[in-house]
Amino acid sequence: MLRIISNSCKQTEKIGKNFAHKLFGTEIIALFGDLGVGKTTFTKGICLGLDIKTNVCSPTFSIINEYDGRHKVYHFDMYRVKNMDDLYSTGFFDYIGNGIIIIEWSENIEKILPQNSIKIFIEYGNCENQRIFNFEGVNMNENFSD
Amino acid sequence: MKILAIDSSAKPVSVAVSEDQNLLGEFFINNGLTHSQTLAPMVADILKVLKININGIDLFAVSLGPGSFTGLRIGIATIKGLAFANNTPCIGVSTLNSIAYNFWRENKTVCVVMDAKCNNVYTAIFEISESKITRITQDRLMSIEDLYSEVEKLEKEVILVGDGAVLCYNKNKKKLKVRLALENKQNQRASSVALAAYASYSNGDAVICPSELKPVYLRKSQAERNLIVDSKKEILL
Repeated sequence: MLRIISNSCKQTEKIGKNFAHKLFGTEIIALFGDLGVGKTTFTKGICLGLDIKTNVCSPTFSIINEYDGRHKVYHFDMYRVKNMDDLYSTGFFDYIGNGIIIIEWSENIEKILPQNSIKIFIEYGNCENQRIFNFEGVNMNENFSD
Repeated sequence: MKILAIDSSAKPVSVAVSEDQNLLGEFFINNGLTHSQTLAPMVADILKVLKININGIDLFAVSLGPGSFTGLRIGIATIKGLAFANNTPCIGVSTLNSIAYNFWRENKTVCVVMDAKCNNVYTAIFEISESKITRITQDRLMSIEDLYSEVEKLEKEVILVGDGAVLCYNKNKKKLKVRLALENKQNQRASSVALAAYASYSNGDAVICPSELKPVYLRKSQAERNLIVDSKKEILL
């Protein structure tokens, strides 16, 4: 597991941007973490790294946002997804393998996440703007916060 | 009897028109999931080149599932729309059953597998003889490992077919007697949906009106579905 500390919004975005350069185009990226921890900011960073020009925001109500860049990105917010029926009716399984899938609130679907998913746990740090990123399921040893 | 059949249950999408068991024409596209854009023009074009008016279609057939959530809805909604105008009779067939019709009149045991993602497959086994296709198992959602324990019990050579065939073939750890179907028989085909629908019609299975067509998603049981609710969630809410 790789552990990275971010000390600002800007830095979180940068971590996402650098992480994006590692992606091939069909990864499933599952984000875990409480409200305000920076899941959307991190996603913005990934999209920046993939040359996505459109505005990236959390799809809390639409559940899925679609972005076009160097790769196709499907941005999910599972906050309102409570059971298998909900998940199935988002078409989630149709998206697997057709683009990069970024999932916010992965806690809600943790038990059925595909085995090869990249899991990223984000926690609050000691000071106000500090966040701790834990990467699981991906082979990385670089310093992403540079 | 003229049949117009659609399959959009997975990655490919196809439209076929047949006269009883004779295939008059089939359009097949396997270019990613773009069914909402490709299906309607394909239906219009096939009728145009065959010089058949949509009013000349006596029966509409569609694969009801299992398959892609969005794909199934596109196919079924299209058939409903086409059949609604004249209230033309419809028949829905199992996607897995229709794939078995790719092997019509061959003496084989085929195991149809569609990728249901997350190491699961939609599957059913069929015994195919010169005169008929016999279903050995129901359509089910199961893990690849469970499917192999079932194939093992059959004790005969089984042909793997469907978009999950290669996936299953590569996971044959016990080295059971399985073979992959030829490429041209791997896919869901509207022509096979038409054959399955005609067989079902000839068997006297009741045709239904368009509004009665419903997708068969074949999901997990309620108990399993509830597993998704994580204990952490309750604290968060």
